[in-house]
Amino acid sequence: MGEDSVVIRFENFSYSYPDTPNVLVDINLKVEKGEALGIIGPNGAGKSTLCKAMNGLVPHFYGGYINGRVIVAGMDTLEHTVAELSTKVGLVFQEPENQLSGLALTVEEEVGFGLAMLGYPREEIKDRVREALEKVGLSGLEERSPFELSGGQQQRLAIATVLAMKPEIIVLDEPVSLLDPIGKREVFEAVKELKKTGSTLVIAEHEIEELAYIADRVIALNEGRIVMEGEVDQVLADVEGLRKITVEAPSVAQLTHILRERAGLEVNHYPIRLEEAVKLYEEVLRK
Amino acid sequence: MSTLGSRLLRTTIIGKDTPIHKLDPRTKFLYFFWISLLGYIFYDFVLTFIFLVVNLLLAVVGKVVRRILLTILVIIVPWIAIAAPILSLPLGFPWNETIIYRINLFGMELPVYQEGLGWAITWPLRIAVTISAALLFMLTTKLGEIIALFFKLRLPFRALYMIAAALQFIPLLADEVGTIYQAQLSRGLKTKASIVRRVFNFLALGIPLTLSAISKVQIRAIALESRGFSAPVEKTLMYELRFKSVDYVFFAAIIFFTGVLAYIYITMGYSPIVRLRYLFG
Amino acid sequence: MSGEPLIRVEDVWFSYDNEVTALRGVSLTITKGERIALIGQNGGGKTTLAKHLNGLLKPTKGRVLVKGMDTRTTPTHELVRYVGYVFQNPAHQIFTSRVYDEVAYGPKNLGLSEEEVDKRVRRALEMVGLQDYVEWHPYDLNFGQMKLLTIASILSMDPEIYVLDEPTSGQDHRWRNLVAELIMKLNQQGKTIIVITHDMKFVARTSERTILLANGKILADGPTREVLNNIELLREAAIKPPQITQLCHELNNRLGTSFQSMLEEEAAEEFIKHGINV
Repeated sequence: MGEDSVVIRFENFSYSYPDTPNVLVDINLKVEKGEALGIIGPNGAGKSTLCKAMNGLVPHFYGGYINGRVIVAGMDTLEHTVAELSTKVGLVFQEPENQLSGLALTVEEEVGFGLAMLGYPREEIKDRVREALEKVGLSGLEERSPFELSGGQQQRLAIATVLAMKPEIIVLDEPVSLLDPIGKREVFEAVKELKKTGSTLVIAEHEIEELAYIADRVIALNEGRIVMEGEVDQVLADVEGLRKITVEAPSVAQLTHILRERAGLEVNHYPIRLEEAVKLYEEVLRK
Repeated sequence: MSTLGSRLLRTTIIGKDTPIHKLDPRTKFLYFFWISLLGYIFYDFVLTFIFLVVNLLLAVVGKVVRRILLTILVIIVPWIAIAAPILSLPLGFPWNETIIYRINLFGMELPVYQEGLGWAITWPLRIAVTISAALLFMLTTKLGEIIALFFKLRLPFRALYMIAAALQFIPLLADEVGTIYQAQLSRGLKTKASIVRRVFNFLALGIPLTLSAISKVQIRAIALESRGFSAPVEKTLMYELRFKSVDYVFFAAIIFFTGVLAYIYITMGYSPIVRLRYLFG
Repeated sequence: MSGEPLIRVEDVWFSYDNEVTALRGVSLTITKGERIALIGQNGGGKTTLAKHLNGLLKPTKGRVLVKGMDTRTTPTHELVRYVGYVFQNPAHQIFTSRVYDEVAYGPKNLGLSEEEVDKRVRRALEMVGLQDYVEWHPYDLNFGQMKLLTIASILSMDPEIYVLDEPTSGQDHRWRNLVAELIMKLNQQGKTIIVITHDMKFVARTSERTILLANGKILADGPTREVLNNIELLREAAIKPPQITQLCHELNNRLGTSFQSMLEEEAAEEFIKHGINV
């Protein structure tokens, strides 16, 4: 892949909040067009901050000190405002209700809000809103109040608000962690759809077993540093490496690790998804 | 408990489709201004009462009469009930002059004065006209339309946002209060207690509420910022404000009645029916 | 473990303002020393049921008996001696400017002597590992520590029964293990634990009994292994069992085996016992 295909580039990036030093240390990272990058790591490792550095909230909104730089779609985030970056990077947060604008009475208005703030013509807003709602499976709820929706619906609404801006990259910061199982499933389905259509995705997530289906590549953060980086099948299968930073690998990978240690099970590669494990153990356990 | 706030939110935004809802917010705002002004120009409680009835009739058309009527009754009836007996008696009101009636109270004959009585009834009614007209506007106009209206009036966008967000925020905080109250009850908070204890109890609710409200506001501000809120461009309004035929009918009515009332004012004065006298000057 | 019944929930119905019926005829008995998980989608009635256990909510119909006391007639500040409820969000309860005071608030409300309060505060902070933060300002703690603080503020009241409302939501794996250990520790001291959670792996680790609620009714109430292996029922309730359970289920379908594991360790043992082709 050439340099043109790089949508996000962190170059020796370090960051300290005004009251917390070294939240991110020496980050070097590239996100290619069309890829899905997973970010894992314990709480406090810097996952959220990394996400916020991608659309300029860090440092524009929070202040603090930075070193190095972040280039998003060719723009240095330090030289452009969050509003300018909002059409390049869409950020979806953890809490469904609190990211509603509070200015929109219907789902339709909520999705159009960002475009309205940027002064897009009304006709174009309508078209884009329809398209975005379709993508997250909320068509038909245009006239409902955002506050009436379930958590999963609100979170998909948040994704739609971001999609309407047609960003080059969508960043999701633990989008399901506060949802119930149905909500989680709905949001993951929507994210998988986005992946199918070739969107560039960055997703910080604790639900590592789901992440295995979404991410192409994964980085692990610990104490502000990137400590692991690679293909999803490689990083999530590294049971020992993940344990060192108190992250649990997918259950099927852990199981395989135990069986290798205890029973000498020989496998080239630990499974990280259910289907792979079923295939593997069907052979291993067959009499 | 947890659904109270969101339900409040929902009830404030029920979209109905009545002629009043169809009116342009500017028309409704003009009407609010016009009828309130009339209430203060005329000093005649029968006429003021008619204005109030007109408001309520429009509220019936707009299907919001119950809430308006309820609000009016709660504010106005007790007010009149307390003010009228006090103000209309000899020492109740400094401008009392004209005796219109004498009542017998505990064997004492007391005069009832027109000045005090008129004042005690007219003022609450005037306020009632203003409140009902304001509610008529608020309850039949979508928040987005109100924002569009204020926008046309060239109010700064950030100020608008603060107002609108605050309006939506209150019901959400109501939910929050419920949860916090339960959390502290679970730690043995006693509802029946001494004054000192109650102040402490108040802190146990007030501090978490304030802090969680601040954090909610911050999260929302961040989310808004990420969606281009502060972009230095002309914002697009999601609502187009356009006068429709129903607006022109309304304008015609306003102009017609302005004419009629102006005629009455000129020929019969500011108190055409009750014949009250201005008290100052 | 089976012992005296601590809580009896008898045909409880509950509706918020006569509009939404959140519970429709729920009955169950909780005995001393049990570890119970309440699972199900939001709006299914988990939290509503849990809030009935210490009288935060009173049944519209039916009754709840806590150690024989009817919650409708016993004041909540009396019931909280026996049932401690840890809320999900620390921001909803922290209000003092010192970790010590925050933990002392509960026992003080119970009218204990200063000495006893002090003893309990120190013990509670030690149990959650915050003993070195006694003089700190609660808001200087990180989010995980704040959650520990809220647990400590209930521990210091020393109730017999603990209700933990979604202790793991939004938290990392390290936290999940920490809470799981704490639950086991409390249980060994004879405490009864009720956890509301969406995390099935956590359920498998911590709870011996699982109650599944949907639409205000109990859909299942039994040993965790049975409930989590009832794949059909869980599918109906749109809940994914732990990945290991899913794996066992698939293998059982294909190989005619009868694996029932929920966690990695036990699956490894079960597989080894079955015999593996290395």
